Amino acid sequence: MSQFEDKHLDFVLKHYQEGKFDTRKAISRFNEAHGIRPKPRRNVLVMMSGFAAAAAAAVLLGVFIFRNIEDSRWTEYETLAYAGSFTLPDGSEVALSPNSTLRYREDGKRMVKMSGKVFFDVARDETRPFEVRTDGAFVRVLGTEFQVNDGSQDGTETVRVYVSDGKVLFAKNGRSEGIVLTKDMGACLEKGGDMPVADAGQDINSIAWNRGSFIFDDTPLKEVLDCLSEYYKVSFAATDLDKRLSGEFYNDDLDLIISLIESALDVTIIKK
Amino acid sequence: MFEDLFRYNFRPLCLYALHYVQDADVAEDLVQECFTTLWEKLQEGTEIANRRAYLYMTVRNRCLDRLRRKGIATESLKPYDTYGIIDDDDAEERSQTEARLWTAIDSLPPKCREAFLLNKRDGLKYEEVAREMGISENTVRNQISKALKLLKDGAVKIYMFFFG
Repeated sequence: MSQFEDKHLDFVLKHYQEGKFDTRKAISRFNEAHGIRPKPRRNVLVMMSGFAAAAAAAVLLGVFIFRNIEDSRWTEYETLAYAGSFTLPDGSEVALSPNSTLRYREDGKRMVKMSGKVFFDVARDETRPFEVRTDGAFVRVLGTEFQVNDGSQDGTETVRVYVSDGKVLFAKNGRSEGIVLTKDMGACLEKGGDMPVADAGQDINSIAWNRGSFIFDDTPLKEVLDCLSEYYKVSFAATDLDKRLSGEFYNDDLDLIISLIESALDVTIIKK
Repeated sequence: MFEDLFRYNFRPLCLYALHYVQDADVAEDLVQECFTTLWEKLQEGTEIANRRAYLYMTVRNRCLDRLRRKGIATESLKPYDTYGIIDDDDAEERSQTEARLWTAIDSLPPKCREAFLLNKRDGLKYEEVAREMGISENTVRNQISKALKLLKDGAVKIYMFFFG
């Protein structure tokens, strides 16, 4: 059998519903049901058992290494090879990409420190702004969804912020003036710079790792491949780089995405 | 890795269960429960050499239990497709192809998928699909043939990926 047959397609079509059998959702339901998300612990003894539990769960999912920091006002999470998400005490949701850390305050102050790349969905509370700090910059918000990438994973040390919903202020540490970003806007602050500048290089696919899919809308093939190349760390060569692509692609199977693009645009794409 | 086991087998197992229970919600819940059962066994320290085979077996048993509870006669406890009864092994083998086909439909461009589903799943004529979507009949025809081509090409690649 080198091809599916009518009987396969007929059966699938009879039952097909959009969004059904969603593997990613099933995995997160499973993890939630089994308490895979570690809870912050306070004392050393519990921390040890927390660590043992995390080690046991390491076979399962993006596990946070949880650490008690000497300064007891802060709790730290760290992701290794997998992304992971959890809810902060104020109800805000955060998703850490692999190799990221996040510290939050135990005293209820809405301030976090981070490194790596983290996506935030901040619980709205206009009386208490939510603040994200990296080594070089900070972002202050009321309630919104955005991502901060401090550049430590790619070694550029350029802090990149992308807002998917709402409004944030992005500024260099120690400065009160910054740039205000709203929905679908990105900006970056280079190392040594004083003022973040608008950055068209970030778009909705900057948060593909968290959303689980890429979205293209009349996007030139060259940009599509740049986006996939950055995400999967693979280089591509292709014919007809000017052709344009629209559609949403799940990010869990690169080969499938490539073959779909090849037949949609009638091009040949080679992984290098 | 347990998550990889989940990632690669969740959808095929759902399709497998669907051949028995014929209801996507039931199939999905049942498969999720089977992963839980396996997880608990492993947590207890039970050695399970072929986890994938174990999952297929538990899914099948649960499907049969469910059908029995619904009062289905023993001789009818069989997997079905749209043409009639198929065998257990066949259902297992097909679940891979069908899961990838399901994924390929998910990945179709939205308009293309909509036209394809309205016509092939819901049985609307080209003319009716055109009216429903506010596009020309010719565009409908193009979208549907594009969908079929994408699925065919996608499924070939998928097949090579799995067995090649």
